[in-house]
Amino acid sequence: MLLWGGISALGAAGFGALALSRGEMVNAAWLLVAAVCTYAVAYRFYSRFLAARVFGLDERRATPAERFNNGRDFVPTNKWVLYGHHFAAIAGAGPLVGPVLAAQFGFLPGTIWLVIGVVLGGAVQDFTILFCSLRRDGKSLGQMAKEEVNPAAGAMAMLAVLFIMIILLAVLALIVVNALKASPWGLFTIACTIPIALVMGWWMKVWRPGRVGEASVAGAALLLLALVGGGWVATHPTLGPAFTHTGVALTAMMIGYGFVASVLPVWMLLCPRDYLSTFLKITTVLALGVAILVILPPLRMPALTPFATLGEGPVFAGKLFPFAFITIACGAISGFHALVASGTTPKMLAREPDARMIGYGGMLMESFVGVMAMIAACTLDPGVYFAMNTTPAALVQASDVLRHAGFVVPPETMQALAAQMGEQTLIARTGGAPSLAVGMAQIFAGVTSGLGGKALMALWYHFAIMFEALFILTTIDTGTRVGRFMLQEILGHVWPRFRETSWYPSVLVSSALVVAAWGYFLYQGVVDPLGGINSLWPLFGISNQLLAAVALCVGTTILIKLNRARYAWVTLAPLAWLVTVTMTAGWLKVFSTDPRLGFLAHAASLVGSADPNAPRLVFNDRLDAGIAMLFMIIVTLLIVTSLWEWWAVLTRRKPAVTREAPYVESAYAAGD
Amino acid sequence: MSKARMRRETEGGQGRSKAVEGGRGWRHALRRIFGMPDYDAYLEHCRRAGHAPRLTEREYLKEFFESKGKGVRCC
Repeated sequence: MLLWGGISALGAAGFGALALSRGEMVNAAWLLVAAVCTYAVAYRFYSRFLAARVFGLDERRATPAERFNNGRDFVPTNKWVLYGHHFAAIAGAGPLVGPVLAAQFGFLPGTIWLVIGVVLGGAVQDFTILFCSLRRDGKSLGQMAKEEVNPAAGAMAMLAVLFIMIILLAVLALIVVNALKASPWGLFTIACTIPIALVMGWWMKVWRPGRVGEASVAGAALLLLALVGGGWVATHPTLGPAFTHTGVALTAMMIGYGFVASVLPVWMLLCPRDYLSTFLKITTVLALGVAILVILPPLRMPALTPFATLGEGPVFAGKLFPFAFITIACGAISGFHALVASGTTPKMLAREPDARMIGYGGMLMESFVGVMAMIAACTLDPGVYFAMNTTPAALVQASDVLRHAGFVVPPETMQALAAQMGEQTLIARTGGAPSLAVGMAQIFAGVTSGLGGKALMALWYHFAIMFEALFILTTIDTGTRVGRFMLQEILGHVWPRFRETSWYPSVLVSSALVVAAWGYFLYQGVVDPLGGINSLWPLFGISNQLLAAVALCVGTTILIKLNRARYAWVTLAPLAWLVTVTMTAGWLKVFSTDPRLGFLAHAASLVGSADPNAPRLVFNDRLDAGIAMLFMIIVTLLIVTSLWEWWAVLTRRKPAVTREAPYVESAYAAGD
Repeated sequence: MSKARMRRETEGGQGRSKAVEGGRGWRHALRRIFGMPDYDAYLEHCRRAGHAPRLTEREYLKEFFESKGKGVRCC
C-alpha cells in the first residue's frame, strides 16, 4: 500500500505542476508522470474491481478461443501477443489527431480528459464489451444489441455504424488530403505504398505463398527507399510538379483509390498495406515514447488558451465544454473500439482474466499515445501551431485574440520552418497531421542531433506524414470494405442476390455507393473556406461518442440482466457523461445562432449571398445539420429502448433472459 | 500447472531445442500481432487436435485473407 500511496502522490504532484503553471513553460515530464501514475493506479485497483466484482471473470471457464479452437479465427493466444494485436487494431489516427486539434484550448483540458476519460470511460467500455462478447461466443456489438436489448436496437446500431463509418472515412481522408496538398515529397511516398503493397501481395500469395515475413521485410525496405527518394522527386524539375496537386485533385484520387481498394481481392492491397502500417505504427509509437522520455521537451503551449472560454477558436469553433470532449474521442473513449472488442479479440483470448489486460490495459496504452500526441503538438511554438492549423478565413476571424495572446509568428519564421521540413509552405495545413509531423520531427531530430538531426528534419517530417497517412489509408481500405458489406446486407433485404459478397455487380454498385457517400463529405470538407475540419471533425466526434453510448447501453443492459444492477454505475456514469456531452455538442452544431458554430445559422448567413458557391455551401450546411440530427435521433431511440428494457427487467415485468453461453470448464484449469 | 500448459499450447511446440523453439515462438508471436497468416501454427493445431489438416496452404491463405477483409481497423 505504501508503494501505491507513493505512486498516487507522484501522480497528484504531476497534475499539480500542470494545473498550477501560470504562463511559464512546463516540462513534458510532468504530463507523463501524471498520466502514467493515474494509469497505474486505475489498472491496479479499478480494473481489478471490474474484473473481480462487476464481471466475475473466471479462470476456470473456457473461452470461445478454447471451445471453438480451429487454428484460424478462434485461437487461444498468449496475452502479450494478443495485447499487441488488439492495440494495433484499436490505435489509428484518432488518438494522434484529436489531441493535436484540442491543443487549441491549451495542453491541460485535453490531457485531463485523455487521462480521466480513459480510466473511467474508454477503458471501461472496451473491457465491458470484450467481456460481453467473450461470454457470447465472440458475437458482434450489433448482434448483442439485437439479442440483449431488442431487434430494433440491433437494426439501429447497425445503421448507426454505417453512417458513422461514412463520416469517419470522409474526415480521415480529409486529413490525408490536407497533409499531401502541394507536397510532392509526401504524395510520392504515399503513392509508392500502392505498388509496394501490390508487390507484397503478389509475393505472399502467388510467388512464395505464405512467406508474409519475407514480403513484409521487402515492403518495409522499399518503403524507406520511397521515403528517401521522395526528397529527390520533390526537387526534380519534371517529377516535382507531377506530384504537386491541389486538394480537389487529391480528393478525386482518394475516391478512385477507395473504390479500387474495396473491389480488389483483400490479399492484393488491403492485407499487405495493413502489415506495413501495423509494423510502422508499433515501431513509431515505441520510438516516439522513448524519444520523449530521452529529451523531455518543454511545453510551449500554455495550460489554457483564451479559446477555451471564448469559443472562437480558429482550429474549430466552440467552447471547451462540450467540444474538447468530442474532439478527443480515440484516446479517451471511442465507440469504434466496441467493434474491435466484439470482433477478432474475443475469439483469441486464452483465459477470461486476460480480458482485463487486453480490454482495459489496451485502451490505457492508446490513451498514452494520445498524451504523446498532445506533447508533440504542445512543444510547438503556439504561433506556429495556429498558423499551421488555421485557414485564411478563420485567421481573419480570430486574428485579434491570437495577437493579444501573443500567438503570432512572422511569415519569415513559417517560411524557414517549411524549408527545414522540405515543404513549399506550412501555413494553413489544417487537419492536425502536418502539425503533429512537425512536432514529431523536432522530437526525433532532438534525439538524433548527434547524427545531424537538424539536417534530417525534412526526412523525419515526411516519415511522420507517411506514418500517419499509411494507417489512415488502411482504415479507409477496411472501412470502405466493411461499409460495402453492410450495404450489401441492407440491400439484400430488397434483392437477396445483393447479399452475395462475391457477386461482382453487387460488389461494384455497393462499393460505388459507399465511396460516393464518404467522397461527397470529403469534397465538401476540401472546398470548405473554413477548412472542413471545423465542420467534419465535430461531426465525427459526435458520431463516434454516440456509438460509445450505444456500446455502453448494451453493456448496462447485460449487467442488469446478470443481476449486477448494483454495479451498473460503472457503465451508467460514462454513458450519462457521453450523452450530456454529445447531445449538447450536437444541439449546438445544429441550432447555435453563431454562424461559425451552428450549421443552420451558417446556412442562413449565406442565403442571398453574392458568392457563387453559396448555394452549395448552404446545401452542405443543411446536410450536415440533418446528419447530426439523425445521429442524435438514432441514439435517443436506442437509449429509450434500453431504458425500457432496464425498467422491465428491474421491476420483474420481464424475465432477465441473457444469451450468455453455457459454462464449460476450461481444460487448462482441469489440472489444478 | 495450468499456466505452464497454456503457455505451451499458445506459444509453440515441444521437443525442440530451446533456441529453435524460442525462434519459432517469436515468429508465431509477431505473425499473430501483425495479423498475418501462420500455416505452421495451423498444422500444429491440427496435430494437437489429432486430425489431418483440412486445408492446403493455398486454401488456408484464401480463407484467412477473406476473413481478414471483414475485420475493422479503428480510427
